[in-house]
Amino acid sequence: MTVYLSRRYSFTAAHRLHAPSLSDAENRAIYGKCNNPFGHGHDYQVEITVAGQVDPVTGRAVSLDELDALAWREAVEPFRYRNLNEEVPAFREAVPTTENLAAEVDRRLRNAWKDAFPGGSPRLEKIRIWETPRNICEISG
Amino acid sequence: MIISKKVEFSASHICRSPQLSDEENRRIYGAAANPQSHGHNYVVEVAIEGEPDPVTGMILDLKRLKDLLEERVLSVYDHRLLNREVAAFENQVPTVENIAVDIWSRIEKDIDATGRARLYSVRVQETDDLAVEYRGER
Repeated sequence: MTVYLSRRYSFTAAHRLHAPSLSDAENRAIYGKCNNPFGHGHDYQVEITVAGQVDPVTGRAVSLDELDALAWREAVEPFRYRNLNEEVPAFREAVPTTENLAAEVDRRLRNAWKDAFPGGSPRLEKIRIWETPRNICEISG
Repeated sequence: MIISKKVEFSASHICRSPQLSDEENRRIYGAAANPQSHGHNYVVEVAIEGEPDPVTGMILDLKRLKDLLEERVLSVYDHRLLNREVAAFENQVPTVENIAVDIWSRIEKDIDATGRARLYSVRVQETDDLAVEYRGER
């Protein structure tokens, strides 16, 4: 029996949306308020969905402790209470949009997945990141 | 096309397997292994798939779906101790995974029998940060 289990985590961080290859006027036009030179912040939420088989004894598709530990290490701790532009290496070049943040979280989780869950189960099915309650980015498969 | 209906129930449970030692139960389920039980406000989202009837514009009358969920799920689950009062959990732990699978098996045939609709998924939200979706084996 395959089920899809989703677990949600949260962190707060600051960022500024500014692409160095664009002019100041273009940056203001594209990113609006998010281009404020002093930056601003959000309470982010990260949802990790795994696909796994339900263990007949425990009734669990994944060890929540192991998933929580992995999520903390790869999807929360590197970003929490950070200025993403200044303190997270991935955003020295890339603009820390929700899309790029989701890609970075996805990349980190996939790199660490095999060590955390040797044997191929559970699979990482998708991640979703809420930048605000209205801005959500999803990466699946 | 997929349409979904959300319903809620409140219930208590004990996440503890008789096949495991006390220590293993505590390690796997943490505080949820407390033999005195604890509870949640569950949210169940049932999604059905099909093509709308050309006359009514509906895949399935959502009132009919609501009544079915009331009869097959809520009347059995709501304000109960799942381990003791729901048959499926006499021999398995009422984790949110097993709850999603049990709800599926309670309603799948009835939804198929309506004609246009088939069950697509059952999603059970146990807390704000934990949910499980089951899409059957077909």
